[in-house]
Amino acid sequence: MGLSCGQFALLCLTWNLYIFNGVLDMNYNLSGEVRLEESTLIRHAANGDAAAWEPLILAHQEAVFRLAYLILGDPDDAADIAQEAFLRAWNHIKRFDPTRPLRPWLLSIVANLARNRHRSAGRYVATLTRAFRNEPAPANIEEKSAQHIQARELWKAVQSLSMPDQQIVYLRYFLDLSVMETSEILQVAEGTVKSRLSRALERLRGIIQQEFPVLAESREGHDA
Amino acid sequence: MNELEQELFEKRLISIATGLDYPRTPDIARAVMTRLRPLTRPRFISRRLAWSLTIILILFSSLMLIPPARAAIIEFIQIGIVRIFRGTPTPPPLPNAGPPSTMIPLTATSGPTSQSLIPILESLAGEMSLEEAQQTVDFPILLPSSPPDLGNPERIFVQEADGKMAILVWIDDQQPERISMSLHFIPHGSWAIDKVEPTLIQETEVNDQRAIWTVGPYPLRLYNGDIEFMRLIDGHVLIWVDGDVTYRLETDLPLEEAVKIAESLEPIR
Repeated sequence: MGLSCGQFALLCLTWNLYIFNGVLDMNYNLSGEVRLEESTLIRHAANGDAAAWEPLILAHQEAVFRLAYLILGDPDDAADIAQEAFLRAWNHIKRFDPTRPLRPWLLSIVANLARNRHRSAGRYVATLTRAFRNEPAPANIEEKSAQHIQARELWKAVQSLSMPDQQIVYLRYFLDLSVMETSEILQVAEGTVKSRLSRALERLRGIIQQEFPVLAESREGHDA
Repeated sequence: MNELEQELFEKRLISIATGLDYPRTPDIARAVMTRLRPLTRPRFISRRLAWSLTIILILFSSLMLIPPARAAIIEFIQIGIVRIFRGTPTPPPLPNAGPPSTMIPLTATSGPTSQSLIPILESLAGEMSLEEAQQTVDFPILLPSSPPDLGNPERIFVQEADGKMAILVWIDDQQPERISMSLHFIPHGSWAIDKVEPTLIQETEVNDQRAIWTVGPYPLRLYNGDIEFMRLIDGHVLIWVDGDVTYRLETDLPLEEAVKIAESLEPIR
């Protein structure tokens, strides 16, 4: 979930520009690094400062893109949806409470958009197109590490679940978000998240046992 | 699945899921900012407002081509709060170039009403005698004592411009079709002060006060009600302020001569 070197460098550069412009508040942690307040950036963005929106995108674009990718399964679709999510968030940023963390709100927007895209008729065509275009060659699969194969198999297993179940599994286990963050994104109580997770896991385990023996064997081995 | 089983299963899921090879995250920030910036700029001026302003500008430009409409618009501007507009820029005068350099109206004006050696003066509103002018305005009309042979102005006008504005005109003795000098007295608060942004050629001083040496036309009221930007002389203009009056000396003399004349102003004897 970390930023790539290029993204991190760009993020630092953008933030440094803000610092030199004297626009933003900043904090110093014990290691001497400068950390800008997200809430400050949000307030500037809410005042129409588009430049303040850019570092926020850089900070969250990976999580937003990955959730869209998990739901849609196509990087181009995911990139489209991620862009759309940030644009929508920008259009409604004035209504956002800057004291709250931005990521859950962004992820809730992208989840809604991705679900809608998934349901749309165009999605079916896109899926067919992708099936012909991006189907990985067997040789490539063989080259991948066992961990990657397992992860892809798990993803396939999760895709067999209903969309609400998929979403909660992606948030909690693929994006490794806390129960609290997941509850904020889904806008339900934490207890509701736990109960939904419990039911989703039961269904997932059944699917794995029946359709993904590699994962089942691993799990049995792990349990043993 | 009991609680322990679920906890183990969750850990296993997280462990496997972390191995998923996601595609490289594209540069979403750049794409979003590219789409965002063109959207954010027009916040200052909406498309509807831009169209409205364009239409108004076209209408205004069209009306300004019609002299009566132009006069009405200028009157409107004069009455309104917004008083700033620029006079038509004029090229610097070319010494000894062309015909006698008198009275060149810079905009189309109605023709003179009588045969005159200086037709433009015949179209100016508010002509009166020097005595009448002094009785009409609230400030003392001053006359230059230099050069000594200058004498009193031949033509005097007082025009309404949010206050009475006096204009003194000297005719060249040797060339009666030529104006040798004009001197404007513009009272404080007059729209006429604001209506022209003179192009600064040189800063100078008159009686140790800041003055500017410039060129350009000036709004004058015609007897038919029009206000026209015009130059009475193909020359320079010295502008300075003394008290509540702004002075505008229009002459084809050099700067030093103009300053000397300006500093020689005295009350009417």
